[in-house]
Parts: sequence; C-alpha cells; structure tokens
Amino acid sequence: MAPYIGTAVSRVDGVAKVTGAAKYAAEFSAPGLLYASIVSATITKGRITRIDTSAALAVEGVLTVLTHENRPRMADKDEAYKDEVAPDGSPFRPLYDDKIKFNGQPIALVVAERSEIARFAASLVVVEYGAAAYVTDVFRRREAAVPVKAPANPSEALFAPPKPRGDADRALAAAAVRHEGEYYVPIEHHNPMELYAATAIVDPDGKLTVYDKTQGVQNIQHYLCGVFGLKSDDVKVMNPYMGGGFGSGLRPQFEVVLAVLAARALQRSVRVVLTRQQMYALGYRPAMIQRIALGANRDGTLDAISHDAITVTSQYEDFYRQETAWSGLLYTSANAKYAHRLAHLDLATSCDMRAPSAATAVYALEAAMDELAVALKLDPLELRLRCYSDRDQHEDRPYSSKALRECYRQGAEAFGWSRRNPEPRSMREGTDLVGWGMATGVWDAFQAPITVRIVLTANGHAEVACATSDIGTGTYTIMAQVAADMLGLPLDNISIKLGDSSLPQSPVEGGSWIAASVSNGIATTAARIRNELLRLAKQMPGSPLADVGSDDVALADGKLVSKRDSSRAVSIADAMRQGAVERIEQEETTNPAQDEKRAHNTHSAIFAEVKIDEQLGVIRVTRVVSAIAAGRILNTKTATSQILGGVVWGIGMALHEETQIDHTFGRIVNANIAEYHVPVHADIHDIKVIFVDEPDDSNPLGIKGLGEIGIVGVAAAVANAVYHATGKRVRDLPISLDKLLA
Amino acid sequence: MRNEIRFLRGGREVRLSGFSPTLTLLDYLRLHERALGTKEGCAEGDCGACTVVLRRCVDGHVTYAPVNSCILFAGQADGAEVIAVDDLANGGLHPVQQAMVESHGSQCGFCTPGFVMALFGLYHAPRKGPLTRAAVNDFIAGNLCRCTGYRPIVDAALAACTAPPQDRFAEDEPEAVRRLAALADDADVLVGDDRRFFAAPASIASLADIYASHPDAVLVSGATDVGLWITKQLRDLPKIIWLGRVRGLDAISDEPDAVTFGATVTHQAAMPHLAAIDPDLGALLRRFAGRQVRTVGTIGGNIANGSPIGDTPPALIALGSTLILQQGDTTRTLPLEDFFIAYGRQDRRPGEFVRAVRVAKLGPDDCFRCYKISKRFDSDISAVMGAFRFTRNGDHIAAARIAFGGMAATPRRAAGAEAALAGVRLSDPTTWSAALTAVDADFSPLDDQRGSARYRRDTARALLRKALIEAAGTPTRETRVVDIREDAVVGR
Repeated sequence: MAPYIGTAVSRVDGVAKVTGAAKYAAEFSAPGLLYASIVSATITKGRITRIDTSAALAVEGVLTVLTHENRPRMADKDEAYKDEVAPDGSPFRPLYDDKIKFNGQPIALVVAERSEIARFAASLVVVEYGAAAYVTDVFRRREAAVPVKAPANPSEALFAPPKPRGDADRALAAAAVRHEGEYYVPIEHHNPMELYAATAIVDPDGKLTVYDKTQGVQNIQHYLCGVFGLKSDDVKVMNPYMGGGFGSGLRPQFEVVLAVLAARALQRSVRVVLTRQQMYALGYRPAMIQRIALGANRDGTLDAISHDAITVTSQYEDFYRQETAWSGLLYTSANAKYAHRLAHLDLATSCDMRAPSAATAVYALEAAMDELAVALKLDPLELRLRCYSDRDQHEDRPYSSKALRECYRQGAEAFGWSRRNPEPRSMREGTDLVGWGMATGVWDAFQAPITVRIVLTANGHAEVACATSDIGTGTYTIMAQVAADMLGLPLDNISIKLGDSSLPQSPVEGGSWIAASVSNGIATTAARIRNELLRLAKQMPGSPLADVGSDDVALADGKLVSKRDSSRAVSIADAMRQGAVERIEQEETTNPAQDEKRAHNTHSAIFAEVKIDEQLGVIRVTRVVSAIAAGRILNTKTATSQILGGVVWGIGMALHEETQIDHTFGRIVNANIAEYHVPVHADIHDIKVIFVDEPDDSNPLGIKGLGEIGIVGVAAAVANAVYHATGKRVRDLPISLDKLLA
Repeated sequence: MRNEIRFLRGGREVRLSGFSPTLTLLDYLRLHERALGTKEGCAEGDCGACTVVLRRCVDGHVTYAPVNSCILFAGQADGAEVIAVDDLANGGLHPVQQAMVESHGSQCGFCTPGFVMALFGLYHAPRKGPLTRAAVNDFIAGNLCRCTGYRPIVDAALAACTAPPQDRFAEDEPEAVRRLAALADDADVLVGDDRRFFAAPASIASLADIYASHPDAVLVSGATDVGLWITKQLRDLPKIIWLGRVRGLDAISDEPDAVTFGATVTHQAAMPHLAAIDPDLGALLRRFAGRQVRTVGTIGGNIANGSPIGDTPPALIALGSTLILQQGDTTRTLPLEDFFIAYGRQDRRPGEFVRAVRVAKLGPDDCFRCYKISKRFDSDISAVMGAFRFTRNGDHIAAARIAFGGMAATPRRAAGAEAALAGVRLSDPTTWSAALTAVDADFSPLDDQRGSARYRRDTARALLRKALIEAAGTPTRETRVVDIREDAVVGR
C-alpha cells in the first residue's frame, strides 16, 4: 500500500460539500427553535440614554428583546471574558452596559418565532444616545500612539517587540546607500463566505449544545463557561464545518454570546445569524503606518534596518503582533532597530487576519528592498541574495531548515526573471506597460501541544478524534491521510471526529500550526496503538514478532510488520483476536520538542507580472509564480490550493481590499461585498505554485504548515511590478486606478 | 385569474398562496422547505453562494438559468422547475460535483453549492465550439470564493462541462417539457388581496389595468435591484407586480436600422443583438454583471431604476435610443437621455411603465466605442463608463453622440464635447484638444470611494482620446482597455 502522505488525495469532505449536505452553524435546528436579530449601534461612541423596545415587543411572535437593562446575568470581571488568544485589556462584553465603544456594536437582541419577525421587530427598537467625541482615523492618532508593552499573557511572549542590535542610527548615517520610505496598509476585513452564526440548543436535560462559527470550539466552550458561570459539563460547542475563518474566528465573537444569552433567558433554543453588514463590526486587519529605513554598502549588503510601525487597535484592548520583527529577521544586517506604537481608535479591537503582521510588515519591507535595489542599481533578486541570511538574525541561531535560496532559483527560472529589463517603463505589449516584480515571504513554523484519541476496532477501522477545527483548510483530509499511513490502513477505513469541544484538547486553528500539531499528535497516538498491538501479537503462540522491539515494527497493509524482515508479520485482526479485544483505544498528548537553539520558519519567493493601461491606470496581474519552502507537503492538492488562495488574497491586498471609514461618522461605508472588493475570477490569471524540497527534522513528520505563507510578500511583488511597469511608486495600498494616475 | 403560484420541485408541483409578496426564493428553500444546501453569503446578489437553477421550457427548448435566489422573489419561479444543489446527486455525484471534488474546487465549502449550481448551468448551456477558460470565467464571474484561488474551480468546469450533457436532467427533458407545459397557462396571477399582493399579469393590457389601479405598486422585472430593497433596506413592499409573465413584453424586434427591446428583455437575451451592433457592447454587458444577474436583470429595469452609472443607459444614449412608455392605453416616446431628470428622479408618471426601448443601429460611416472603467475588473460598478458614436465624413466628424455614466447624478451626454468635435480632423490629433478640453467642462463629477473627481475627469478625457484614436484607424489592439475587439466574448 503506497503512502497517502505527500499525494494528491481529494478532500474527504468533498462529497458533503458539493452536495450541500455539509451543515454549518446556522443550519442546526431543534424543536421550537427561536430566531434572533441584532440591533446595532448607529453612533460611534457614547452611551445609550434610552432604549424603547415596546414597539418591537408588540409585534406578534416576538418573545423578548434583550438589552443591557434586562439581560440575564453575565460575569462582571474581565478575566471571565479573556479567551485563549485574548490580547491585554478589557474584552468587549455584548449587551453588558450602556456604553457604546464602536459603530455597529450590538445593543439589543430581538428574539422571535420566525426570522422575518425578528428582523422586522429589530427595526422598531428606538434608541437614544448621548454621543461622545471619537476618532477613527489612524492618521489623527498618529502622534498620540503609544509604544507597545510586552504582553502579560506568557503564551503571547512571542509578540514582544524584538531587541535592537548594534547601532542602527550610526550605521544608517554612515551608509553608502540609503532608502527610507513610509508605507501604509488600510484596514481590511476577512469576509469569509459564511455569515457568522450561532445556534444555541437547550437540550432536554437543560444543558447547552452550541453550534458556532469558530476556529476553536474549546476556546468558545471555556469562554462561555466563564461568562455565564457554567460548569464545563453544562455546555458543548460544535463546529463540524466552518465556511472560512482566516483569523476572524480565533476569538469568541458576539453572535455566540448573544445566542447563549437568549437561550438562557428563555430556556429555548435560539439562532443568531449576522448579516454581511454586521460582520464588519467584528475584528479586522489593523491598519498599519510603517517607516522603513535601509542602509546598504555599495556591494549590496545591508548594514542597517530600521522599522517603525503604528498599528490600530480599539480603546479597550491592545491587539498587536510581531509587526516589526520580520524586517530584522529576514536579511543579514549587523544593525537593526524597531519601534512599534499602537493607535487606540474608537473601533472594535483589531484581530488576526491571514498571516497577521507578516502580510503587512513584509509588504513594506519588500517594497523598501525594491526601492533600495533601484538606488543600488542592482537586480532586486540579486539584492536579496547578497543579503541572504543562513541564521536567524534576532537570536543568531541556525534555522531548522531554510530552502529560500532554492525558492529564488526555481521561482526565477519558472518565471523567466532573467529576461527582465531592469529599466522601468521599458517593457511593453501594445500600449500596455508590462512590469515584473518580486518579493520574499516568511512565516513561522509553529507546533502546539495537542491530544489525539484513536480507537481501532477489530474490523480494521479507526476513529481519530481531536477537538480541532477544519476551517476549510483540509484538516479532515490530512488527518485521515496521516492516520491511514501511521496505522497501515486504507484511507476509507479512517473516520475523523473534530469540531466538538468534548473531544481531546486542541488549540485554536490558526497561525498555520494545526497541520504540524495534529499530524504529529496522530503519529504519537498511533505509535501507542502499535505498541499495544505488538504486545498482543507477542502473546501469540510462536509469534513471528516475539523478539521484535517496538521501534522495529511498523503498521502496514493491516498488519504489524517487522521493519527488518517483512515476512515476519501479524495481522491486526489476529493480534486483536489473540487478546480477545474488540477495540483498542489510546489517547496521548504530544508536545513539541524544545528546540530553542534553532529558528523555525517557512519561506517563499514570489514573482509577479502586471500589465497596465497607462492612460486609465487599469492594472491586471497576468502571471504569478510562488515558490514555497515549507517542509514536508502532506497533500499536494490541499497544499497547492492553500497557496493559490493566499496569492489571490495578496493580489486583493495589493489592488482592491480596503475597509473605508467615513471618519465624520466613524462608520464603515463599504460594509458589503459589492463595495469591499475581493478578487473575482477575472482578476485571476496564471498562477504557478512550486514546492521546493525542504527536509526538516523539527518534528517527526517534518511538517511546517502552509495557511499563512501563501499571502506573505505577494502584495509587495505586485506593487514592485507596478513600479517596474510605470516608474511610479505607490506606497499606500491598495494601488487603485486613481492613485496610479494622480 | 390564478391565486397561487406554481413551480416544480423534484418533479413535484408546488402550489404557493398566502405568502408574503417579497418572500425570496432562498427563504422559501431554506426556511419553508428546510432544504439547507443553498447558502446565503451576502443577501444582495454579489457572491453567488445562493445560486439555484431555474429550468424552463422556452419555445420548445429546455433552458437552465442560474439565478441568485437571495434576491429573487419566490413568485418569480412561477412556471419553472427550481433545481437546487440538494437535488443534483442521485445515487452518485453529478459530473460537475465529481469534478469539483477531484479538482479541489471546494475548501471551506460555503460558496461551493453556488459554484456547483453555476457550473450545472454551464454544463447545460448550449455551446458553439470548445469551452474556453475565458468562457468559464465569464460564466462564474458572479460567484465569489475566498479560499481556493479560483483556478481549481475553473479546472473543474473545464473537466466537466466540455462533453454534451448526459446527466439525468438531460435524459428526462422530454418529460420535463411535458411537466413544464402542464404548468403553463395564460392566466393573470394575483396572490393576496387589494392591500398586499404579488401580481403577475399575463398581458400588456392586464399590466396596464392593474398598474393603473395600483400606481403605488412596485414593478419588478428581474428584482436584481428591488431585491436589495428588501434584504438590505428592510423595506415593506406590500404590492409587487412582476412583469415576467407579461406576454410580448420581452419581444425583440431586430430591424435593419434599429433593434427594439421590450422592457423585460434580459441582459443575457439582449447581449447578442447589442454585440451585433458593436462588439464593445457585448464586452460591456459581459462585465456589467455576472451570469446570475444578466439572466434575470432586464434592459427596461436598468433604465427605469435610473442609476447614475448605468451601465446600459450611457451606451444606449450614445447609440441614439428612444424610450417608449405606456400608461393605460396611451403610449408616448422620448429620447432616452430626457428620461433621466435628476438623481433618483425619472420622467415616469404614476401608473406609467417602460414598454420598450428602440436602439438605433450604426450606419456605414459610424464608429462606436464604449469603455467600462471599474476598480475591480469584473462584477463592479463603474467609476466611469464612456460611450461614443462618431459619424464620419471623410476625415471629419459630421456628428457625435457622447454619453457618460458615473460623471453626474444621471447618465448624461457631453454636449460641449459633442459640439467641439465639429472642427476635428481625425488624422490630425492636434485638432482634438478643444473637444478634450470641452469634456472637462461638461461635468462636475463627485469624489467618492469609486474614484476621485480628478480621476473621473482625467479618465473621461482619456476615454474620449482613446475613442478618437480608434476612430482615426489606429489598430484597435493598441488602445484597448481590456479584451481585443476581435476576440470579444459576445454571449450566446
């Protein structure tokens, strides 16, 4: 039986999805299910002075209207609202009190027999406000932005600002060639296709089963227990399928609090579904103002890097990531310094969004590197090679693996980079200007503690269970592949259980850490199963494996086989018959190896071609090559698609995506997907994905993760191509038609 | 008079009465039938996750039209078979479903039902020649995906939709024709009472009658705009008159010097006729909206709603079009440009409806060009849309009609530029400057998120220059915004 790992297995949940059978959070039902509709604040900051729900309550079919005045009891301490990935601060509490902290904040929940009634009655709630002054524009808070502090939560220590090295100011002053520039990325919203929803079902025994759109069922379960004072046995959280998250579902969102609040108030099952508009009141990618200064020697080696960043958060929580750390990590430079400040705005708290911090910071770094290459009269790829670093520049330690050089080589070759004329505006096709740009991408290779349970039955089937989520990335599929290989069973004999908080422990799914975590977790537990089978097999009279140690035996083709002599084997069925057991169950926690002596990262090289109508500024990204070094690839189909999706996000970031706020009202004006532009088919032309070979021994399976790396650097490659085509450098994203012509 | 609507579901006839006039087909499926395969992603026809296919029998042919069920009123399914994603697999997967699995066209799966149904529509679409990547892009331009990067879905389409259809829907077409024919009748439909109703008159006379009695009713054709009044503005529209059953209102009369489109001719149906006038019009309609919107949205609706952008009114104004309005038995005509009075205000009297628009064709000395400029290439509202008709007299321009969308509160002609073109010699670009300056003075455009005022001015001038370069005979390949004219997709 050939291994499944590394092959193009079609996703195991594909049939459920193409037939419409896959059920999402808003699609679970219960007898007497009630429907709730959210009333959203129409001011940006202040207090509710009066809220009149009488007209809504008078509508036939309305059961209640919950507000801060009549809601059931919720916790009064911040600690209760702090979830697994909460930043420092005081988390938002839906319907807690009369305070308005951001426009679109939920302030009332209408619960009715039918969804139309709830929606209609929600329009009848009359609210009076006492408005306060507010600021939603990062440029107005630029001076008032405050330096980030190291996070209080030890699990977030990673996000502490990096330490400077050398004397960057002196080195910059002395540099033979300098480039300094300011770059801006606006607020972006995730816009997963599924609307946020929660269905809270009151079970006959009074316990709750909550179907929520989330990237972490146990995170939600723990949070609900804290907020509502429940015992962990009282509430179960499920998300068998999730229609995209991209980071927006890492933290608990208000739909789940509201659904549970209403279910507890009425002791009835309740569903809350957000509208697309209301989803713009959830978290977002923080806007980022960045100043990058690079000092180089004439030979194209770097001597100094300075990265100043201002990112956006709310007035009540300090969300940030390692925004300034990427620039000092990637390239060899003796001197580096950083400054990261937070601008507190009257918006909801910003949050993780695909490759948080890297997508934005590496855009600025890589656009600046392109400008430095121009100043040095050096090919941009050659500049990257001269600054190439084989060691983590922050900690001066080697990488567990880093095949970025190979990404550059294979990517450049596939793209035809050597045929590039370095002169801007030199390449044309008809009257279209043609531009070629490139950039580097980098992300972390994380692994987190996880617990996996496997139940093997005598008929040769195995059930693999873990409370992780499949947010669309293909977790079901890779879990089945890894389990099939580790247990030596056909793929069809594996069933996967996930998305249920009562299953063995898992972290939230994000940061590209689940593939490495859960796969190695399966390997650990499968080894325990194997050992148990070997113990039984050794008891067989005349057992061919009597003197074989556990490290010398593998599971393959439904048998325990000696690695040294494949003729010595015992079938799983025989071993279990010997022990008179019908099932073998093992549950094991896998912790990542402590490997602080090495850095663990994924890398990429992106090459992009744009064609631009000069008179109108119409830009098309006609070709992209993305070469990826990300350890072992579990499934070429799901992996390629992860990168394709990331590249498309990068194109959107470069050319389209921007949440536009009318700062006079503090309100988002393009809160819909007609005006918030994500790329459509016609924007996407030729994209080639290359996985370069990168053996890595950080974990037994050599996995690094892929969800984030695909987007990192893409916006810079496109922006650099736009410069090469036009000679015009647009330093604030997105590069819209009018900016190009202005 | 019929007091219910009737459509087919899985071969069964469904009769609906006593429903809200604005019940959407999506809510019918998800809330009434609890058929949950079809998804709501935006509730405004932008994302296509709610796509279902309406199978109808038209002139003896079976058609499969993908539509956005989130903004389609349930009553609009009258006379059709509604096919949703839950209906496709029968024993095994449908070929488009199988291809989506194998090409990894589904990740999180939420947009997938919509894609599957759009591809099901493509699978059954009549084809001339081999299926191209461009044609697939066009067919699914109305579906958004945030996970896959799109290419796996296009690959699935190319794998599944090349051979002639062989699924059970193709097999049962004779039976479908019989069942659909059994639904067809000539009756006026009225569900509800005098205060709240969904009406679907079957003749122009009945339409004129009921609209005269209820001038406060909302006329709905494709509902691609009115649907959003419900789902986004939460408006209560008690009286809906759907035009989709009005016999003859969708007539197309193609004469030597003009084409007359009845008010309910869809964009999809108009496409080949307009593209035959000039390929730019075909390209414009292709980018105007995705297939689901083009399939139900109508030429008449796009005019009657008076959007300041268009995109069809500026093009039709530049060609020279006459609008025909009817009230009771009386009709009147006016130049299309005169219909648009101010933002949100049109020259339409109570009880009066758009009957047809007569679009002039081009003469041998005419050169027509139109360009749609939008921030996102496909499925986006124009920042500026410019349309130009030049009548040449040798090297001179004898007459010009120029209209822009997105430059004012209504689609409007550029009168100054038209006049200034009188002295122009096409062969000498130095004579163009007066016209290029005049187009600046013709408009005071808005600054908004689609483009700054300055960008709009610059673009209007650049588009006029492009049109002149092309009229002067420079090879078109050199001046195209997108697409090469010779290759323009003209619909089918």
